[in-house]
Amino acid sequence: MGPLVRLGNAAGTAAIATILMIAFGLQFGLEEPPCPLCNLQRVAFVLCGFGFLLNLRFGVQPLHYGLTLLGALFGLVASGFQALQYIAPGSAGHGAPVLGLHLYTWSLILFFAVIACVAALMVFSGRPEHHSNDHQSALRFRGVYRLAAYLLIAATLANAANSFLLCGPVECSDNPKGYWISKYLPS
Amino acid sequence: MIGLIFLAAAIAMMTALAGYRGVSIGLFGVSAAVAVLWLDRYMTEPLKLSF
Repeated sequence: MGPLVRLGNAAGTAAIATILMIAFGLQFGLEEPPCPLCNLQRVAFVLCGFGFLLNLRFGVQPLHYGLTLLGALFGLVASGFQALQYIAPGSAGHGAPVLGLHLYTWSLILFFAVIACVAALMVFSGRPEHHSNDHQSALRFRGVYRLAAYLLIAATLANAANSFLLCGPVECSDNPKGYWISKYLPS
Repeated sequence: MIGLIFLAAAIAMMTALAGYRGVSIGLFGVSAAVAVLWLDRYMTEPLKLSF
C-alpha cells in the first residue's frame, strides 16, 4: 500500500499546483484580479499542498496530514465566509461564475474534497513511515514525486509575485480593479 | 502582505526539500499564523443570513 499512498500524495501535490495554475488562467482570462479573500483561499491551497509535499520528502506521517487538514480548515473558513456573504436571494455574487458556480463556491467544494482525500489516504496509510535516516527518505524523493513538489513551489512563487504586483507590500483593496505596480509604470 | 505569506510558504517548501524538516514546519506555522491574522482583518463585513 505504501507506493500507492505515496502516489496519492504526489497526485495531491500536483492537483493543488494545478488548481493554483487554473486560478491564474482564470484571473488573466476573465481579467478579474483576485480579491483579498480569494488570495487567502489560494494561500489555503498552498498550505494544504505543504503537508502533501512533506509526505513526499520525509515519508508519510500523521503530522503532515494534520498540516494539510489545518490548511483545508483555513480555506473552508475563508471560502465559506465569502459564500455566505452572497447567499441571500438576489445577491449577484462576486466575479463571473465558472461552470455555473462562483470561484469561492468551487474553493469550498475543493477544500471538502481535500479533507475527503486526506481521510482516504490516512485510512490506506497504515503505520507511519519512520525512516532510519534522512538519506533513505531523500533517495525515494525523485521522479514524479520531485516533479510534483517543484510544480507546487513554482505555483507558490508565481502567486507571491502576482500578489506583490497586485497589492504591493502591505494592504490590498477590497475589490481591486488594477495592479498596484501599474501606478509606477510609464503609461 | 499576502505576497509575503506566499513567499514564506515557498521558502518553507524549499527548506523541506533541502531536508530541514523542523525549520520548514516552523516557517509553515509562521505563514499560517499570519494568514489567519490577515483573514481576521478581512472578515469584518456582517453576514446577512436572515432573509
